[in-house]
Amino acid sequence: MNDRDEALRALLQRAAPGPADRELKRDLWPEMRRQLKRPSVHIPWGDWALAATLLLCLFLFPTTIPALLYLL
Amino acid sequence: MTGVVEVELDQFTRGDMQAFEALFREYQGEVYGWIIRIVHDSGVAEDLTIETFWRIYRARARFDPRRSFGAWARRIATNLALEHLNRRRPEKSLDDSLRMRFPATRTPDPAIGADVRAKVVAALDELPAKLRVTTTLALIEERPYAEIADALGISTNGVKSRVFRAVRLLRKSLEKRGVCP
Repeated sequence: MNDRDEALRALLQRAAPGPADRELKRDLWPEMRRQLKRPSVHIPWGDWALAATLLLCLFLFPTTIPALLYLL
Repeated sequence: MTGVVEVELDQFTRGDMQAFEALFREYQGEVYGWIIRIVHDSGVAEDLTIETFWRIYRARARFDPRRSFGAWARRIATNLALEHLNRRRPEKSLDDSLRMRFPATRTPDPAIGADVRAKVVAALDELPAKLRVTTTLALIEERPYAEIADALGISTNGVKSRVFRAVRLLRKSLEKRGVCP
């Protein structure tokens, strides 16, 4: 780093110093445990396969889209 | 590695909740301290610390117990902090940014006027998130380049290159605002 870069570094440190307090004030484990216990949304693979098949059909046979919309 | 033995890491990779809790308690402060350096907001840093460990827990099977858990955690935390900075970028105003950045910063330098501080913060905020994080860690926090490289998943030369680009952009941006460091 040259002198100009050093001057910029000094300006950054003086004008935009980081937070003074970097200590964690509380134990986050209770929140972590809640997060771990939260049930995750699980979509069965069969549903994914069905959705993929439907999309493929719509892509291959776009003329079926009006019929599908009518049925819905 | 302080206090956490390899056996515990091995147990963690096999899904042992007690081992995970021990790791969490051992590293939560370190991860939080790393994140707050980047995001400068204690609430966000707490949320991202939990999210970091949530990702760690989900990816436990991929962790090699012979490697450094701290370094792995730092990399995940850095990615999350980057995602956060990218997300908040469009809706944050300069005022918000200043309020967030200076709620409890280290002792402000009285020689630097509020307008210069505002201009420096604005110039920093204009940087792309990847360059901003690298600048913060390398120039403001003065972390070793190797540590930054590890956290960002890039080479040391990559860090040097980002610092070089960031310095060029910062200088241009500050000069436009009438600040010539």
